[in-house]
Amino acid sequence: MAIDLRYTDAHRALRAEARAWLEANVPREPLPSFDTAEGFEAHRRWEAQLHSGRWSMVTWPQEFGGRGLDLIEWLIFEEEYYRVDAPFRVNQNGVFLFGPTLMEYGTPEQKARFLPRLAAGEDMWAQVWSEPQAGSDLAALRTTAVRDGDHYVINGHKIWSTRAVHADWGFGLFRTDPASERHRGLSYIVFPLRTPGVRIRGIPQLDGKAGFAEIFFEDARVPVADLIGGEGQGWSIAMATAGFERGLMLRSPARFQRTAQRLVELYRRETAAQGAAPIDPGLGAAVTQCWMDAEAYALATYMTASRLIAGGSIGAEASLNKVFWSELDVAMHRAAIALLGARAELRAQGSEAAAAADEACRWMDGFLFSLAGPIYAGANEIQRNIIAERVLGLPKG
Amino acid sequence: MDFTFTEEQELAAQALRGLLDDHCSGADLRRAAEARGAGAFAAARALRRERLKELGLAGVLVPTSAGGLGLAPIDLARLAEEAGRAALPEPLIDVEGIALPMLAQLAAAAPGAHDALAAALAQQATVLAVTPGSGPVAAAVDADYLLVGRSPDELALHRRDALRLTSVESVDPLRRLATVELTDAAPLAVLQGSVARQAWDAAASRSAALIAAQQLGLGARMIAIAVAYALDRKQFGKAIGANQAVKHALADAQMRVEFARPVVYAACAALDASAPPDASASLRVSHAFVAAADAADRAARAAIQVHGAMGYSWEVDLQFYAKRAWTSAALAGGRSAHFARLHRALLDGSAATGPDHLFDAGAARA
Repeated sequence: MAIDLRYTDAHRALRAEARAWLEANVPREPLPSFDTAEGFEAHRRWEAQLHSGRWSMVTWPQEFGGRGLDLIEWLIFEEEYYRVDAPFRVNQNGVFLFGPTLMEYGTPEQKARFLPRLAAGEDMWAQVWSEPQAGSDLAALRTTAVRDGDHYVINGHKIWSTRAVHADWGFGLFRTDPASERHRGLSYIVFPLRTPGVRIRGIPQLDGKAGFAEIFFEDARVPVADLIGGEGQGWSIAMATAGFERGLMLRSPARFQRTAQRLVELYRRETAAQGAAPIDPGLGAAVTQCWMDAEAYALATYMTASRLIAGGSIGAEASLNKVFWSELDVAMHRAAIALLGARAELRAQGSEAAAAADEACRWMDGFLFSLAGPIYAGANEIQRNIIAERVLGLPKG
Repeated sequence: MDFTFTEEQELAAQALRGLLDDHCSGADLRRAAEARGAGAFAAARALRRERLKELGLAGVLVPTSAGGLGLAPIDLARLAEEAGRAALPEPLIDVEGIALPMLAQLAAAAPGAHDALAAALAQQATVLAVTPGSGPVAAAVDADYLLVGRSPDELALHRRDALRLTSVESVDPLRRLATVELTDAAPLAVLQGSVARQAWDAAASRSAALIAAQQLGLGARMIAIAVAYALDRKQFGKAIGANQAVKHALADAQMRVEFARPVVYAACAALDASAPPDASASLRVSHAFVAAADAADRAARAAIQVHGAMGYSWEVDLQFYAKRAWTSAALAGGRSAHFARLHRALLDGSAATGPDHLFDAGAARA
């Protein structure tokens, strides 16, 4: 082991293969928003197309439809993916959160049942954890799943479930021991979102689209076979999922490098075009800082990936990543909105596809979307507590 | 592709940390600062210098053909971090990382530099580089030889006593600043023209990258000092570190240090022991310098605030690390110039952007 930041021939071959496939297959026009029925189906078809090229789950083992790539190879694929502005991974909660959890905790039958369909884009997955009274304090959740023969009967109310309006399956956290408190007595159960007794109500987001949903359970019956791991182990399994989420794979650095690149290009164009209205010099500093931070995030991810490949592990420091990328994403979009000035608010006329293709719309939609980053997957205030307590060793409040 | 240090690199850093824990504690720094160069300070410094010699770092970046260890700047990265963590007053990194490779280049072309190089490799003499046009130089008063230039097109070796040094007070008394003026004395050896310019250019990049590495250590140390204080200090019946306002300030400082770290390591890995960097490596060095200076500054400010009124007092050792971080941010061209350079490169399109360029040719040395 020694620091050597050069790609191998195999890395270069992988990059070339990914680039050739992506350039031949990525839709010429951006897909409509995945928060519309039309856009969701278009993104679902893209997932299936990715799978046909065996690019949908590159880090998964070959037996589940993956390529068995390591984390450095995954980073290379992601760089190529975002280089050509390939569509957003609408099933990312399935790909990066549920899939890895199932591989670790699922039975062979469960893996065979769910993973190939997930990889093929046939099942879209939504996370079903938060409740009206259990957000940052997730262990306060109260929705129950009570055993009745070979079924669980679920009653309660979940909320903020991303893409649940259009998805097929949910992976949820329920209280299987109604007498239990806090993180004891919870179980990790999956269920079809169209199960009788499950009612889904979309919640419009800042952009007006129902990107997340609340879910009402009224005696919904789910087979016991769809319990993941042991009854009562839900909390530790969920925390493993949260680790994936905050950790390496949910937000690949390539995405932010591509946004930083677009921001730099926008800044260059606006600087070249400035006439009567000069550009705030502070924006030059903001753009520079954003580019630096996107580079730093990429380098940090390579360093972590290298450490993991060498046998290391990722723990509470994953919270550093989550705070860093989510705040970087907001900063990049804020800078772009400021550069666009009065154009930023304008909506493209006509279709969803037109909006997706319009530069100003892309930035504004991206800005609104970025504001969710510091909130979901554990609000940044919670992440900072985790960093202070588990990385630095400060006492609990 | 590998982004992990070797076991040897980690062991060397651990050895230096152990040595500095014993011989360069906060209390040692305080005695040195308050003694202002006299008595006990001189004795402690002499002891520390003897112990540092035992690490066997002499000539770490000097080619083996010239009697050195033939290693690369990345081999000094973790050591520089440890030197920063201790706010080491001695110019270990400046001597080994900056001056000695230059002296070896000079000696390869000019026999007049042979004796100085031999003495430096034998750890019997100290040599420092005084960048042409730079301000006062730390620890120059303790050097035996100085590398200077009337312009960046000249690299000349002098005995220190052949030059005119005037001590200057710094807010960081441990830096022992002096201005260095050339005299009519003839140099022991001299290089002219593009070779000299390249040597200075390469030295400037090594200097910026290794100062950045020291800033990582300074930042981490200040956070550690603040955490210890926040655990110890109680108000309203509990440790102040239990308060989220305190936690979040320190978490933010930690985040800036941890995201400067890979940039600094990648910058050091992109540098050669003596050749100037290419354009992309050079930009990465500037990025490293800014990120590490900002991280250390963030840590300094958070740590002082966490200490409350104690943080504003002379009594707390934190000040030595904070002052070193702030004064270091102005070295090697200065944080502002490095940031401006990055901004200009983005604006004129010479900086690579986008997801597939991170380790493009030149940015990654063997």
